[in-house]
Amino acid sequence: MNGKNRMGSRLAMALVFFFLYAPIFVLMVFSFNDSSSRTMWHGFTLDWYKELFQDGIILQSLYTTLLVALLSALIATVAGTFAAIGFYNMRRRWRTPLLTVNNIPMTNADIVTGVSMCLFFVAAFGLWNAFAQQFNESHTAQLPSLAMGFGTLLIAHITFNIPYVILSVGPKLRQMDRNLMEAAQDLGCTWMQAFWKVMLPEIKPGVVNGLLIAFTMSVDDFVISYFTAGPSTSTLAMTIYGMTKRRISPKINAISTLLFATVLLLLVIVNLREMRQERARKHPGAQREISSRRGNLIGAGALAALILVLVLLSRQSGERVVNVCGWGENIDPALIEQFQDETGIRVNYQTAESNEAMYSKVVMGGSGYDVIVPSDYMISQMRQEGLLAELNFDNIPNYALIGDAYKNLSFDPDNQYAVPYTWGTLGIIYNTTMVEEPITSWSALFDPQYAGQVLMINNPRDAIGVALLYLGYSVNTHDEGEIQEAYELLRQAKADGVYQSFVMDEVYDKMEAGEAAIAVYYAGDFLSMYDNNPDLAYVVPEEGSNWFVDAMCVLKDAAHKEEAEAWINFICETQSCLANMDYIWYASPNAEALAQYPDYYREAYGEEMDPALYEVMAAPEEVLANCEAYDALPAEVNAVYKNLWTELGIKG
Amino acid sequence: MKNKRSLFALPYVVWMAFFVVAPILLVVFYAFTSAAGDPTLDNFRNMGDYLVVFGRSFELAVIATLVCLIIGYPISYWMAKEGPRFQRIAMVLIMLPMWMNFLLRTYAWMSILENTGLLNRLFAAVGIIDLGNLINGGLNSLCAALNGAFGLSLDTTRDTAMTYFQMINTSGAVVLGMVYNYLPFMILPIYSVLVKMDNSLLEAARDLGADSVTTFRRVIFPLSLPGILSGVTMVFVPSVSTFAISRLLGGSSKMLLGNLIEMQFTGTTYDPWLGSAISLVMMVIVVVCMFVMNRFGEGEEQAVML
Repeated sequence: MNGKNRMGSRLAMALVFFFLYAPIFVLMVFSFNDSSSRTMWHGFTLDWYKELFQDGIILQSLYTTLLVALLSALIATVAGTFAAIGFYNMRRRWRTPLLTVNNIPMTNADIVTGVSMCLFFVAAFGLWNAFAQQFNESHTAQLPSLAMGFGTLLIAHITFNIPYVILSVGPKLRQMDRNLMEAAQDLGCTWMQAFWKVMLPEIKPGVVNGLLIAFTMSVDDFVISYFTAGPSTSTLAMTIYGMTKRRISPKINAISTLLFATVLLLLVIVNLREMRQERARKHPGAQREISSRRGNLIGAGALAALILVLVLLSRQSGERVVNVCGWGENIDPALIEQFQDETGIRVNYQTAESNEAMYSKVVMGGSGYDVIVPSDYMISQMRQEGLLAELNFDNIPNYALIGDAYKNLSFDPDNQYAVPYTWGTLGIIYNTTMVEEPITSWSALFDPQYAGQVLMINNPRDAIGVALLYLGYSVNTHDEGEIQEAYELLRQAKADGVYQSFVMDEVYDKMEAGEAAIAVYYAGDFLSMYDNNPDLAYVVPEEGSNWFVDAMCVLKDAAHKEEAEAWINFICETQSCLANMDYIWYASPNAEALAQYPDYYREAYGEEMDPALYEVMAAPEEVLANCEAYDALPAEVNAVYKNLWTELGIKG
Repeated sequence: MKNKRSLFALPYVVWMAFFVVAPILLVVFYAFTSAAGDPTLDNFRNMGDYLVVFGRSFELAVIATLVCLIIGYPISYWMAKEGPRFQRIAMVLIMLPMWMNFLLRTYAWMSILENTGLLNRLFAAVGIIDLGNLINGGLNSLCAALNGAFGLSLDTTRDTAMTYFQMINTSGAVVLGMVYNYLPFMILPIYSVLVKMDNSLLEAARDLGADSVTTFRRVIFPLSLPGILSGVTMVFVPSVSTFAISRLLGGSSKMLLGNLIEMQFTGTTYDPWLGSAISLVMMVIVVVCMFVMNRFGEGEEQAVML
């Protein structure tokens, strides 16, 4: 190949590498940006790294990721090596079909592997828990009930890692001279001795390679973990996926940079070592021995460093835990810290995206959560399906602080199952600089004039609900024709390109950055967006809207009911409510806290709270009079919603 | 003796029975069961409605796979021709992004492609967006003139007041995300076949009078076919079933198969029975595709991975 050609090909390769690395480079640069903007440079800072190391959730998920990668890679390497030896000694008749099965996790789509294992765990644990319950009733011994979590995550990772190890070890076994093992055994070795002294050194490159591939695959995986980790365990990828659905923090950039730098360092060390070995091979002799020993030393050092990181990251896991599932951006993290300090109960705070997603997770994920915070209509549905536990109000004395307006509501007529957490209205958030005139009607959401500028809410109840409101129907209608009509409105608007996308908590970033002009979302969230972008405005449209109550419930099969009630009681305290209201801007049902909030605001910020903003948060009587709460819908209407919602997703 | 050692595989065979075979059987079982637990075919009855989604997913995945192949093959070919040191560094550079989780890599593109993202800021700064408006304006008046002169009905409503190019939330962004994430899976297997290719075969071809095009067509390409097949599988399967890439870069308005399945299990429309049925259909189509493709490359060595 002549020099000119080589220039061309190298240029092409350089372009590909630029393509591969430019986004990573951008990610890293913005980890040092002195602003939460991901596109505008505001000066250098290390704040995001500081915040990163204070973020318990990210560190915990990093720990889970590394631990599961290390354990699954090690276990898969040992198991896979022995399995490969077994296959190698097997008759072809048996080996071929077994190797085909072995290939399934590698060739199958990740989502199918993930989903199938998820179904399997749910079914297996369902059987086990039913059995354990029976057993515990008739015996004094207590069998534990099982739920998806770290164990299932590990099993899943081992399962998809072993095939890679077999694939890597197999060829080395085939290359090995079969007579070597026999010779060793003829000379008096037991099989085990021969394995250690003869076979292992021969297949070592394959084993090491398998270990590395397994570790890589495990670190890189998202989809399978997503379906098998259960509700209370989270890998880094899952945490990031959760975060990209909310307000994105440059903490993600910071952790990416750290990961990248670590891997780069490791690879440089490994490669330098290999190069040195190669050089040593050219001059054989004493040097080789030394470099190989040094190689082992480096390997051991890397492993030790990894274990050290794991130990540093691992937190003293106290005996008492409570698994809470709420909404994103819907709690003041300081409250979690305070509760942990006061009670010694560790709070494992997870988030769901919408009521429907929370329901799926509860039903699919088995019994991971203790406390969930669904909205009114979902509470009714879950109560009717027998998913909720009756609360012991002796443990929740602060329930007395909840205002009467939020008691005896239709979702919990006898106040047995739910303790209200927040309330508010659904409305339109718009950017006053991006629309011609103030928005007053839901019609803006279906108007081709705003093509590409509208963010529609990504859950069936709210989206179909606002269409029903616009048409003048009740949000609780059972009439299939009316629901169909509302769907048709959404479908047409989607076909006209009105919707930029369907979002839940992604709405924060997009509205704050001016990515879209109009969004459907909740009053409290508007206030926190308004904090970052004063061009935004909120309106409860003239056709009326939905007013909602989100309430804390305990699941029937909660493993930590007492801790759950302690948490609920803590959250109901007036001080907690005030702090939380100040952080999330959702109105509290604690009457005292709601009334005191303007004073709290004055003290905290040294200025009066804008009464207009207070009215957005705690909608006054005349606004609420025009709003309707969601009721639980009968199963057949729910099915209609579900089908139409899927159809809307498919179309367009 | 021989059989005894084969028992080493026994624990793993049991493991596979539990965690590979049983789960897949369960998917099949769910696909043919109703919510109440009765056997039914209802889950497949509406499969026709999802044809659009199947079509869109396969279309995007095929495009992404082709793009990966078009970029990946020459890169692998050139890489294999370089010196060992260059090769090693290049290999490391291709593997390196895989050690960062794939979600991080996808996330990186979000801030680049957004309407107010880096690329649009760059375009605005160097005047490309103004240029686009100018061109659109020009095209509009040209079309109007043509319409007037020949009675045509060409589009004259191109946007001339763009402040950004729409890149995120488009099919293009989703394909880009797929290519970006899975390109290494195309390069690695092709490269590993090409680098092992016996140079004397090429010399023989040349000695027998083949020019470089013929050598490539008759010798190099057929020999690298196993790598290509393996690469195509490793790019196509995750692309056709992705849900994170389409969610992050496609804005959830372009629903793909992965999103449809995910929705049924952990998303807004809880229906694992339907989700299983869709998974099953997808699995069958993918297996058939792979089978046909492997028949196409028959006679070659089984696809090599990594």
